Amino acid sequence: MLKSSLKLIAIGAACVSMSAAQAQQSQQPVIGPAPSFELPDTRTIQLDNGLEATFIDFGLAPKVNISIQVLAGNVFDGEHTYLADIVAGMMEEGAAGETSEDIARAFASMGGDMNVGVGMHTTNFSANVLSEFGPDAIRRMATIIQQPDFPESEFDRLLQNQIRNMTVARSQAGPLATEAYVGLLYGTEHPYGEGLPDVGEMDSFSMDLVRQFHADYFGAARTRIYIAGRFDQSAMEAAIRDAFADWDTGPDTAVPPAAIRPGPVVRLINREGAPQTTIRLGFPAPEIGTDEAISMTVMNALLGGSFTSRLTRNLREDKGWTYSPGSGITNRVGSSYWTFNADIVTEHTVEAFSEIFDEIQTLQLNAPDDAEATGMRNWLSGIFILQNASTGGLIGQISSRDFFGLPDDYLETYVDRINSVSNDDISSAAADYLPLNDMVLVVVGDLDTIEDGIRAFPQLADAEFITDSE
Amino acid sequence: MSNRYFAVLGALALFACSEPAATPETVDSADTQSTVSGLQVDVSYHTLENGLRIVLSEDHSVPTATVAVYYGVGFRNEPRNRTGFAHLFEHLMFQGSENLPKGDFDSLIYGAGGVNNGSTRFDFTNYFEVVPSNALEAIIWAEGDRMRAPIIDQEVLENQQGVVTNEVLVNVINQPYGGWIWIDLPMLANENWHNAHNFYGDLTDLQNADLADVQSFFDTYYAPNNAVIAVVGSFDSDETLAWIEREFGSIPASEPAPPIDISEPRQEEEKFGEMYDRLAPQPALGFGYHMPERGSPEYYAMAVLDQILVQGDDSLLTQRIVNEEGYASGVFGGINLLGNMYNYNGPMLWSVGMIHDDAYSDEEIMATVDSVIEGLRTEPISSEQLDRAITKLRSEFYDIVDSSSRFGLADLLASFALFDDDPSRFNRIEQGFDQVTPELVLATAQEYLRPTNRSVLRVIPDPDGTMSENPSGNGE
Repeated sequence: MLKSSLKLIAIGAACVSMSAAQAQQSQQPVIGPAPSFELPDTRTIQLDNGLEATFIDFGLAPKVNISIQVLAGNVFDGEHTYLADIVAGMMEEGAAGETSEDIARAFASMGGDMNVGVGMHTTNFSANVLSEFGPDAIRRMATIIQQPDFPESEFDRLLQNQIRNMTVARSQAGPLATEAYVGLLYGTEHPYGEGLPDVGEMDSFSMDLVRQFHADYFGAARTRIYIAGRFDQSAMEAAIRDAFADWDTGPDTAVPPAAIRPGPVVRLINREGAPQTTIRLGFPAPEIGTDEAISMTVMNALLGGSFTSRLTRNLREDKGWTYSPGSGITNRVGSSYWTFNADIVTEHTVEAFSEIFDEIQTLQLNAPDDAEATGMRNWLSGIFILQNASTGGLIGQISSRDFFGLPDDYLETYVDRINSVSNDDISSAAADYLPLNDMVLVVVGDLDTIEDGIRAFPQLADAEFITDSE
Repeated sequence: MSNRYFAVLGALALFACSEPAATPETVDSADTQSTVSGLQVDVSYHTLENGLRIVLSEDHSVPTATVAVYYGVGFRNEPRNRTGFAHLFEHLMFQGSENLPKGDFDSLIYGAGGVNNGSTRFDFTNYFEVVPSNALEAIIWAEGDRMRAPIIDQEVLENQQGVVTNEVLVNVINQPYGGWIWIDLPMLANENWHNAHNFYGDLTDLQNADLADVQSFFDTYYAPNNAVIAVVGSFDSDETLAWIEREFGSIPASEPAPPIDISEPRQEEEKFGEMYDRLAPQPALGFGYHMPERGSPEYYAMAVLDQILVQGDDSLLTQRIVNEEGYASGVFGGINLLGNMYNYNGPMLWSVGMIHDDAYSDEEIMATVDSVIEGLRTEPISSEQLDRAITKLRSEFYDIVDSSSRFGLADLLASFALFDDDPSRFNRIEQGFDQVTPELVLATAQEYLRPTNRSVLRVIPDPDGTMSENPSGNGE
């Protein structure tokens, strides 16, 4: 039996007869008012040594998500890019006489791994274990953080792992483009501008550097603990007090100040014969927490930060030149930046730039209509629920608020502030913060095919061009 | 409740009778019910007269609803000269329908504060939305419109041929190690074309697809009797069921899709393959073993072996290769790399992969792997090892349920309805873990971790492209 309900418009002969049963059904149902959503209650304690812990009661399954965040991320690498990663790796290699295998088995028996993730600002020790093992997990994590053994026998292997990771990253267009891009924004002398270690840079790393980093950047007052899930709060608090109360406060070293640099500057990196061009295009953006940053958030969603954004509709859904374009805002201490990224088929790269510049200029000159703008405000309000509907999501949102020193009610008032951004505010944000004559642009691709076309854009007439081979 | 719906128990009984005769013992089927243990979710299950299966599971902790529509068509079903077509068709289903022209479907969902996506896998193609609960009725209407009357013309076909080509470029062709372990290894390991073709698609096949292919594929597979809709989250089940019946109830059933034989013969000899990669800076090595039948005792024992061998920092291959030998930064793997151990229905591999230093040969590495695996094939594991593996499995299973989108739960409920006509199978997963014994693990390792049940694929760096003409490479 053939179903005839699929319409084949382009083939004239394939006309469609709809049976009575397939006649149009009901009209689109009206979408009523959004449900109210309240963040779960949280409680924060502070120990005498400065360590803070926040408890978040949330979830269905009998699990507890523990995140211990120490202000010891890559921003403290200094001249040794990835050093924080090697320190974190070495901390997993043994503590208080237990080997890495002992530790791994202990956490596996609790239903989880302990993972150490190094971010730009913090090193994050996390474990998501069955709730009954929460206090035991806290005690073990405390030992790893405070009493790492740093077994020298493991150092060379971990160093080689990081060198291998760097080598693989350097073979990918995305990490290469990002490295060049942050280097233009912050300069390679600040860790914010260091995407990857240089080839050979890690050869000089030593155990002394590892031990020194731990001494310099680990301590109670640099540490915040977040506990989310279904757990016994008094037992978890007792475990934290017991395991961390005697830890030293630690050095009071702040994130080194950084200056962000606007363009106009273009870096072209040749990847001979590449079928796609990988781009990073951006500008400094207002700092998180400001009114301008909220306008920027809505502008970003409308221009490139959502699937229904103008750039995605244009470059993907209309032209078919790219698969997953997108834009977003990255926050740093004291500065932020907005970036559009895409992998665009080589043959249409130059045309795509023309479309990107046109979309930005159009938004700068014309406020979006109410349907489009309201759709974006609604989307941001709705996904805020999703962003806070898991233990990991809640820890991310709350810890980010704390890290950037935002007001206690920042999350509670977020949806209202999103909805207070006017249609004109959206255009103003594009006009104020996306000045096309001052863009920072990185292009990784087959330069033989695309370079001349890119250089010809009037928006780049005043830009400094830096060209290198991969 | 309307008499248009079959009762849940009827559906379960049907499943118990409908298992093929050749299927080995199933330990998580409805008739092996013992004491209920572990995490239980409320599941209500209904079937419309046109064959659409409906799974509803209420959970009011967050005011959102997740809608997942699953069609019983995947990579294995695509036509032989149209590799990648199932996935291309998935893209086309986002291109508009009678009451929602191109772009309006996405605008409806995003404008309501939700997200949507779709994916194509071996045994299903899914379309899902996560929205604040107030938008649920509108989303059900939109999915009904899409099942009834999608609009696919030459313009959107060409547009999405471009988008999918770019997807393959960014994920495979312009990436080191692109499709190595998730495309090329199954192609090497499987004998049956349905399981062994390039399911992302040869670019030529993708470009050759025309509207006649589109019509034929839609007619064959996109009908209510080949579909499941699962709704999970904060809603009223009776009201939601009525909405689904209203929007889907009049869509006619189609002839059942022609059955395909997806069986794989028992592998009797170890296979080897190699591919050259212009972008890869270091060699990589992947290997896969054919899995036991899904749901069998041995399947759960393989899940335990997966945990013991490759999942987590305590796993034996991680300890040996990463921590002791140190020639790889990590070892990864699992059952069904494009999903999880639950959401597939046919031949599947348990696979392991690593990128490694070029000072070590694949023979040396496989000798190390064999020394670890042979231990499991000669001695029973300790009860402590077994308990630890099951704790990890249970914990991982809870994580699937607790995802913020609730998509993990919707995915499993829809999969079990689609494959087994039995979404309540979800509540018996932990029972499957609990029946695994050290003896069963030993017997399973002896049969399924045989070297002759294994395929090994090497990725060889080829920076100058001088070796790439090799026929066993992926040709991309």
